[in-house]
Amino acid sequence: MEIGHHPGIPYHEAPSDLPPDHRLSPGEWVRQNLFNNWYNSLISVVMGLGLAFALVQTLDWALTSDFLIIRRNLALFMVGQFPRDELWRVWASLYLLVGASGFGSGVLFRSEQADAEEKGLPVETHSWSEMLRRFWAIVAISIFFVSFARTLLPYLGLVVGFGLFVVGRELGRRLSPALRTRGLFLSGLAGLASLLVLAGTGGLGALAVGGLLGVWTLSEVRNYAEQHGVGSGQPVPVSRRVWRWHIRYPFKRRVGARLASWVAGVVVGVIAWFVLRTVDLSGFGWDDWGGLHLTLFVTVVGISAGFPVGVLLALGRQSKLQVVKGICVVFIEFSRGVPLISLLLFSSFMLPLLFPITFGIPGPLTRAMIVVTAFSAAYIAEIVRGGLQAVPRGQIEAAQAGGMSVARIQRLIVLPQALRAVIPALVGQFISLLKDTSLLSIIGLLEFLQTSDVANAQTEFLGQGLVAVTYPFVALGYWAFAYTMSKESRRVEERLGVGVR
Amino acid sequence: MSDTVVNADATEILGKGDTIISLRGVDKFFGDFQALSNINMSVGEQEVVVVIGPSGSGKSTLIRCINRLERHDRGSIVVDGVELSDDIRAIQGIRRETGMVFQSFNLFPHLSVMDNITLAPRNVRNMPKAEAEATAMELLERVKIPDQVRKYPGQLSGGQQQRVAIARSLAMKPKVMLFDEPTSALDPEMIKEVLDTMKDLATEGMTMICVTHEMGFAREVADRVVFMADGEIVEVGPPEHFFTNPTEERTKLFLSQIL
Repeated sequence: MEIGHHPGIPYHEAPSDLPPDHRLSPGEWVRQNLFNNWYNSLISVVMGLGLAFALVQTLDWALTSDFLIIRRNLALFMVGQFPRDELWRVWASLYLLVGASGFGSGVLFRSEQADAEEKGLPVETHSWSEMLRRFWAIVAISIFFVSFARTLLPYLGLVVGFGLFVVGRELGRRLSPALRTRGLFLSGLAGLASLLVLAGTGGLGALAVGGLLGVWTLSEVRNYAEQHGVGSGQPVPVSRRVWRWHIRYPFKRRVGARLASWVAGVVVGVIAWFVLRTVDLSGFGWDDWGGLHLTLFVTVVGISAGFPVGVLLALGRQSKLQVVKGICVVFIEFSRGVPLISLLLFSSFMLPLLFPITFGIPGPLTRAMIVVTAFSAAYIAEIVRGGLQAVPRGQIEAAQAGGMSVARIQRLIVLPQALRAVIPALVGQFISLLKDTSLLSIIGLLEFLQTSDVANAQTEFLGQGLVAVTYPFVALGYWAFAYTMSKESRRVEERLGVGVR
Repeated sequence: MSDTVVNADATEILGKGDTIISLRGVDKFFGDFQALSNINMSVGEQEVVVVIGPSGSGKSTLIRCINRLERHDRGSIVVDGVELSDDIRAIQGIRRETGMVFQSFNLFPHLSVMDNITLAPRNVRNMPKAEAEATAMELLERVKIPDQVRKYPGQLSGGQQQRVAIARSLAMKPKVMLFDEPTSALDPEMIKEVLDTMKDLATEGMTMICVTHEMGFAREVADRVVFMADGEIVEVGPPEHFFTNPTEERTKLFLSQIL
């Protein structure tokens, strides 16, 4: 199987030699697919009976159960013990996040369109019904959850949320493709700002915002330098020689531009972080987070922090530098070799003892995020390593023969092909991570699954076997997100042409 | 080595300019197996050298040593005045000046034809995008497939892929081109289009070392033919002498088998 054939062209658009299929009538379909021979007919009948039985049982359960426990505890399921008079923070941060992701997805969509136009490939038209097909499970589950609300406010909130996504995406895809990078940085910044609304400016949120601002500055300076010919190897017009030593040491120009961009990035990042910390808008310490909100947050952190760390670990494991390699191997094998529970317990009971007291002991959620990141990074590293090994030796040789440096070969040739080949396994790992977060209850965090037990421990509902109501409710929540992830991964695979000849 | 044959010396350049590649006493081992033994060879500017020989004779290893895709174990290799050593920067410098075309094309499947060609010039030579793309279009005209520029390697025929690979190497404006059996993986009807491209290149005065089984090409284009067997250079000569009047028994045997 060759990797990366016909990238960008979904294979269902490939011309087909087959005759156009005439549509079967329902009767014909049933006869051809369910009752075409005696053993298939037998299987169809048995399975049909089983299915009917399950359906009746489910209907019976749905109609006879009392869903009061969910109606009373909807906030508990969604946000755990988050103080009820601070709930506006959750809504506000949700709005920021939804608007930002709508905007970001719109920008990406537009720039993909522009790429396709430039390369002369078929250009995809925008369609909201296509979006609905992609994300129907999340839309449906949101409506389902809100339908248990006892006031009108959550309904209103849901409508505003969907509205913001639509507005964000429509704005994003109207942005000029030339502003793509800035658009994405902006949406990332708005997304991280949602953390500040929730947790205030004191914690990791401020660090993340500062970091992103720094990276943005770095990229702007580098673009500026490139557009004005600095670092391109071309002669720089005298009027553009910003730094004096460009004249004296013209061969250092490229290095100069790189250095300047790094310095500017770090300075801006640190200043932003410092300012945010000093302003110290009090927020809400995130150790009171809970419910579905906590579960999704830890999953997102585990994926977005674990992925880059995992890729670095995979590259490090292949390194010829024995110390680097050794550290990576030990880290990977240790994290993979012990159960997640034991890592969580270790973080909870041992880490506070080992941590230098001057830094203060990080709270349980911070510790959990560190553990989850480390754990998923180790698994991701091994998946990525498989992908790295699947890249043919000839690819590296061709790049070497062109005089490219080791770092560039990895970044431009090896990693794009390796990651493309392992998308299915990576998404499998992400889905596992979503479900593994249910273990956070071990260290006292009130994650989504645990909310069910808490609700059932309330005196009003105690000992009535109502887990039969709450567990399916929670399970549906996990399912909607896992299903959407796997659906999206198939879409990405198809677009990148994994396994398509 | 039990073999007593003294290696032929391929250091005499026939007719053309100054020496650009020079190998002296080069040995190469893969484990216990000696792939090259005591290779002495020079190549002049604008010279076309064709290396032939049975499979396993070390032809590919020889040209892969010249741009350090393989590390030689003894002797010295000097390319464009720079001796190959473990100095990675010097090697990258040499690789910039030597294009290489592989048997299996090795195009980057995740990049379009245009991106395949402009990648190295933009990243290694820091060429601005517009200039790199203009150069790429020129080269695609030269290899006669400008209309394929937006496609991906997987959408091209073998012959087209190999011509893109040649254009990709030429984009770095190399002083030397190395061809490692460029037509061996191609269907017969596509061999000609690639050989024609290589002939054009030779006519334009490119310095070339070609490992190939295409005797017609060797006869027509080569300034010198080098015959290798068992990791040694057995016989060297201009094609007219080489194909009509070889002196060594092993050369005669090889030619009688393939002609």
